[in-house]
Amino acid sequence: MSRGEPRPERSMSNARDDIRIEVQDAEAPPAGRTTVLQGLGVSAGIAIGPAYLYTRAAFTVEHRELAEEDVEGELSSFEYAVSRAEHDLGKITALAREKLGAESVQIFEAQLMMLRDEALHDEVVYRIRTERCNAAYAVTAVMSTHRQRIEASESEYLRDRVHDLQDIQDRLVMHLQREKHLAAIDTATIVVAENLTAADLLIFSRRGLLGCALDRGGATSHVSIMARALGIPAVVSLHGITAAVEPEDHLIIDGIEGRVILNPDEVTLARYQTRQVRYRRLIQEQKSLAPLPAETLDHHRVRLRANIELLEELEVMEEHGAEGVGLLRTEVLLLMKGEITFDEERQFEEYKQVVQAATPHLTTFRLLDLGGDKMLPVAHRESNPFLGWRGIRVLLDKPEILLPQLRAVLRASAYGPSRLLLPMVTNLGEPHRFRAFLEAVKQDLRREGHAFDEAVALGIMVEVPAVALMADLFAKEVDFFSLGTNDLTQYTLAVDRGNDLVAELFHEIHPAVLRLIKRTIDAGEKQGIPVSLCGEVGGNPRMAPIWIGLGLTELSASPSYLPEVKRVIRAIKRTEAVELAARALCARDAHEVAAMLDAWLEEHGCNLDRFL
Amino acid sequence: MIVREVKVTNQAGVHTRPASLIVRTAAKFKADFWIQKDGYEINGKSIIGVMTLAAEQGTMLTLLFEGADEAEAAEAMEQLFADGFGEVK
Repeated sequence: MSRGEPRPERSMSNARDDIRIEVQDAEAPPAGRTTVLQGLGVSAGIAIGPAYLYTRAAFTVEHRELAEEDVEGELSSFEYAVSRAEHDLGKITALAREKLGAESVQIFEAQLMMLRDEALHDEVVYRIRTERCNAAYAVTAVMSTHRQRIEASESEYLRDRVHDLQDIQDRLVMHLQREKHLAAIDTATIVVAENLTAADLLIFSRRGLLGCALDRGGATSHVSIMARALGIPAVVSLHGITAAVEPEDHLIIDGIEGRVILNPDEVTLARYQTRQVRYRRLIQEQKSLAPLPAETLDHHRVRLRANIELLEELEVMEEHGAEGVGLLRTEVLLLMKGEITFDEERQFEEYKQVVQAATPHLTTFRLLDLGGDKMLPVAHRESNPFLGWRGIRVLLDKPEILLPQLRAVLRASAYGPSRLLLPMVTNLGEPHRFRAFLEAVKQDLRREGHAFDEAVALGIMVEVPAVALMADLFAKEVDFFSLGTNDLTQYTLAVDRGNDLVAELFHEIHPAVLRLIKRTIDAGEKQGIPVSLCGEVGGNPRMAPIWIGLGLTELSASPSYLPEVKRVIRAIKRTEAVELAARALCARDAHEVAAMLDAWLEEHGCNLDRFL
Repeated sequence: MIVREVKVTNQAGVHTRPASLIVRTAAKFKADFWIQKDGYEINGKSIIGVMTLAAEQGTMLTLLFEGADEAEAAEAMEQLFADGFGEVK
C-alpha cells in the first residue's frame, strides 16, 4: 500500500503500542523463525541483511577494564562526551532564553555548570586512570555517590534535585555509548530502533547502512524524509519490531509494501532478491526519464520540483529530473548542523550553494518554520504547539531571527532565480506586514551595495483552511501559492498525523481537503498567479492524476519520487484526470476517493506495480 | 584563612539555583573556598559538591576562605546567605 492512502487494515489496537509490545513479547517467535511485520513504507526499495538493534535498553552501562594503552583514548572520549553534552545544553539554553526569557534558563545554566564542574571532571578522570575503567562506568559511579548524598536529605524538595544530576549523567552516558554504537555499525546492516533522529540516520548511512526499521515514526517524520533523501529503504510505525528482533536475525526491509520479514526462508529470500534486482532496474529506467518533460498525453505541461532539506540532496536533483527547488525547508537545513545560529553569513553561504545548484531553475526559500514540531526541546511546552507560536507568527515577533535570514536569502538571489515563501500564514495582515519589512531590508541592502534580485517573488504557504477559504483575497496580495498538504489536512480534519490513535483518519485526499485545494487553485488561476503543491503527497505517483485533474501545474516532492510521478503524468490525459477530480470532489469520504483512484489507475493502465 | 558561620535562611534550602549562585560568586574571587556541614567538607567552587550538602532551611554551615582576596570573598558570601539567595524566607 502506498503512503497517505486509507489503510483500513491498521486497526486502533496499533495505537496502544505498549500493550502490543507486551503481547508480542509473550508470543515472540523462537529466534530464527520467519515472521512478517507490517508497518508503513516511507522510503522505497528492498534491503536484505543482518539486524543491528539500536535500543534504549542497549544504553545500560557495563563495567569494562581497559588495557593500559586504551586509557588515554577513553579520557578523550570522556572529554568529547562532555563537549557534546555542553553543546546540547547550550542549544537548549539558547532556545529557552529565546522563547521564555532569562528567568527560565537558570536551571539549564546550573546544569551547564555541573557539566563543567572541575571536581566532577577530576573525579571521573581519576577513576578512569587509576581503576582503568570505561568512561561511562566512571561517570555513573561518581554521579551515584553524589546522588546518594542528596537522596539522604530529609527535605523532599532537595531530594528531588537529584534529577538534575541524573539528567547530566544520562547526557554524558548517552554520548559515550552513542560513540560505541556508531563504531559498531561499520558493516552493512539494517538498523532496528524504537525511533531515530534524522542526524543519527545520516551518520549511520555514512557507515554503510542498508535499511531502517522503526517502531515509531510516520511518513512525514524527519527520519523518514531523510531516509528518502538518502535512498535508504525504510519502514516505520512497526510497533514492536525492537521487541521481536534478536541481534543475530536476518531481515528483509520492503520499503515499497511497508513490510519487514524476519529470518526469511529460502523461497522468500530468493523472491525478494529478484524484486531487489527489478527495483534497481526500475530506478535505472527512471533515471532515463530525467531529461524528458513532465507532460500529459494531451500536452499539459507540469513543473516537477524538489523539496530540499539537506545540501546533500542537491546532488540528486538533476538525475531525478527536478526543475528547481519547490520547497527549501530552511529550518531543517539550519538545524541539521546541530547548532541554532541565525548567522547571516553562514545562511548566505548555504543558500548560495542551493541557488547555484538549482540554476537555471528557481529556488523557493520557505522562511524559517519554527514551532509546531520543529523546535528543539525547551523547558516550556505549549500545550498545543500546532495551534501556537509557529511560522510567520514567530518571524514577525522576532525580527532578530527574520532579519539575518531575509538578508541572506536576498543576497543569494543575486546568484539565480529565487522566490520567498512564508510559512503558516493565517491572516491577510501577515504578508502585508512582511512586505513592509521586506522593502526596508531591500533598502538597507541597496545602501550597503549588496546585489540581489529586485523582483524576487513573494508567496505564501496555503496550509491553514482560513487561507484556502479566503484565497481570492490572498491572491491579490501575493505572487504565488504553495499548498502544504500535511498541515492543511491536519487542520481541516482535526487530526494530528503523529498521534497513533487517530492517524488513520489522516487523508490528504479527503474530499474536504480536495475542495480547499480546488478553491485555492481556482483563486490563483483567476488572479494569474502560480499554484504549486509541496506536501509529501505531491510525490505519490498514485495521486498524481488527482492533482493534475484539479488543475495544478507545479508539484514539489523529495527528488527520489519525481521520476515515478513523471512516468504517471506522461501516461495520462489531462481531460480524463479533470473528470476524475470532479468526481472526487463530490465523494463522501477519503475511502471513496481512494477507491475511485484505484479503479481509474487500473482502467488507464498506469501499471504502478509493474516491478513487483 | 577566614572562617565564617552562616545559616541557610531561604525556605527551599540550598537547591540547584542557590548552589549555582554560590559557585558563581565564589568564582569571582581567587581565594579558595570550602564549606563544612557536620564534619563533611566540600569544595565551594564545585556546584555538584555544594548540591551534595543538601542544606535545608535552618542548617548551619561553616565557610572557609583562603587567599589574597579572602576578605572580599567572605563578605560577598555572607551577604548571599543573609539575602537567602534572593528567595522566599
